[in-house]
Amino acid sequence: MSRNEPVGPRQLRAVPDPGAFHGYADWEAVYQDNATWVYRTLFARVGNRADAEDLTAEVFLAALRPLRLTASVAEVRAYLRATARTVLAAHWRETLGREITSIEDIEQPPESEEAISVAPQRVAEVLDTLPDNYRRILELRFLESNSIKESAAELGITVANAKVLQHRALRLAAQVNDGGQL
Amino acid sequence: MNARGLRKYIDDLLRGRRPKAFVPDDFEAAQIRTAIELRAARPGSDAPRPEFLDDLHIRLAQQMTGAPPEVPPMSKWNTTRRQVVVGTSAAAAAAVTAVSVDRLVVGRQAEAPAASGELTPNDGRWVRVAASSEVPDGVMHPFDLGSVNGFVRRVNGKPEAVSGVCTHQGCRLWFDASDDQLHCPCHTTSFAPSGQVLTHQLPIAPKPLPTLMVREVDGAIEVFAPAGPVAPA
Repeated sequence: MSRNEPVGPRQLRAVPDPGAFHGYADWEAVYQDNATWVYRTLFARVGNRADAEDLTAEVFLAALRPLRLTASVAEVRAYLRATARTVLAAHWRETLGREITSIEDIEQPPESEEAISVAPQRVAEVLDTLPDNYRRILELRFLESNSIKESAAELGITVANAKVLQHRALRLAAQVNDGGQL
Repeated sequence: MNARGLRKYIDDLLRGRRPKAFVPDDFEAAQIRTAIELRAARPGSDAPRPEFLDDLHIRLAQQMTGAPPEVPPMSKWNTTRRQVVVGTSAAAAAAVTAVSVDRLVVGRQAEAPAASGELTPNDGRWVRVAASSEVPDGVMHPFDLGSVNGFVRRVNGKPEAVSGVCTHQGCRLWFDASDDQLHCPCHTTSFAPSGQVLTHQLPIAPKPLPTLMVREVDGAIEVFAPAGPVAPA
């Protein structure tokens, strides 16, 4: 039982900054802990799965290799959000030639709901200002994913009228959404 | 102005297709922005596909190590779905958060150490935790010395002991004889009697349980425990 003998006294050491010591064990831990919020952050700003998946892959392929694992969880997340901001900006430059949406500087932690997306709140506010039939067509088409035919039937109008209604509703919603500057 | 490009972009968004590049003017850009926000506000639309996450995991492993991951990924994603309810009155819209966490099962093979070292107090003494007869083969015997608590059992006749405190956030473990596992009441982490982590739902696997020094003397099982008081008198 020699290994069961107690060890001698050890020197007492001060820990410089206990808060900064909660890091990740390896790159896989970084990926598994952060992939979902990074994807959701990007999805909220491109609105479709194909682009959100491509951009999420770009973020991690670019970010993981140079990542220091001595960084704290908060530092790693701030770095991932900054990388996502760059990747999204490049995406808009390449596809539409201008920045449609962006990942803002915010005080909340990147993995919080407020940081991931404010789309639901903004959408609710915008829809609330629209006339009933405009609001309904946008709900039916964008939020409930009905076809134009189904939406027309629901509203009791022709398909051609539903198309025009959707077109006008989106124009008005965009004006409201951009603060009526247009 | 590019009415056709805009119409197609919105149509692709609505059909869940990848939208095509075009050059929008200011107002068209504003409409795209609004359309994106409307689509992003759909209930459950922003949860990543597990297959996508697994596939990216493999690509990253190839980049980071030049080889696919050893353990095939198995949808162990901490997926948070935000659901948005937009009723007939949009003012009544409320965000509902639903969290579903898949259970991560850790491979039982010795990929991680079975214990995170031995609990060795600087100033300790041998303390009796059970009579030898109280710990027959196959029994997990709990003990609580105030300063430390844990479980002793016999492995090939020799006593072994593990800590009874979860290595995640310190909740007290309980032993379920029916499945021969120690369970944490806080986050459903479970440990083998040896201290190895068996299952957990956390982003990062917690450490295995520390073992305690244990010996059998004169018909009693003793562990090496801190000598100091548990609380100042």
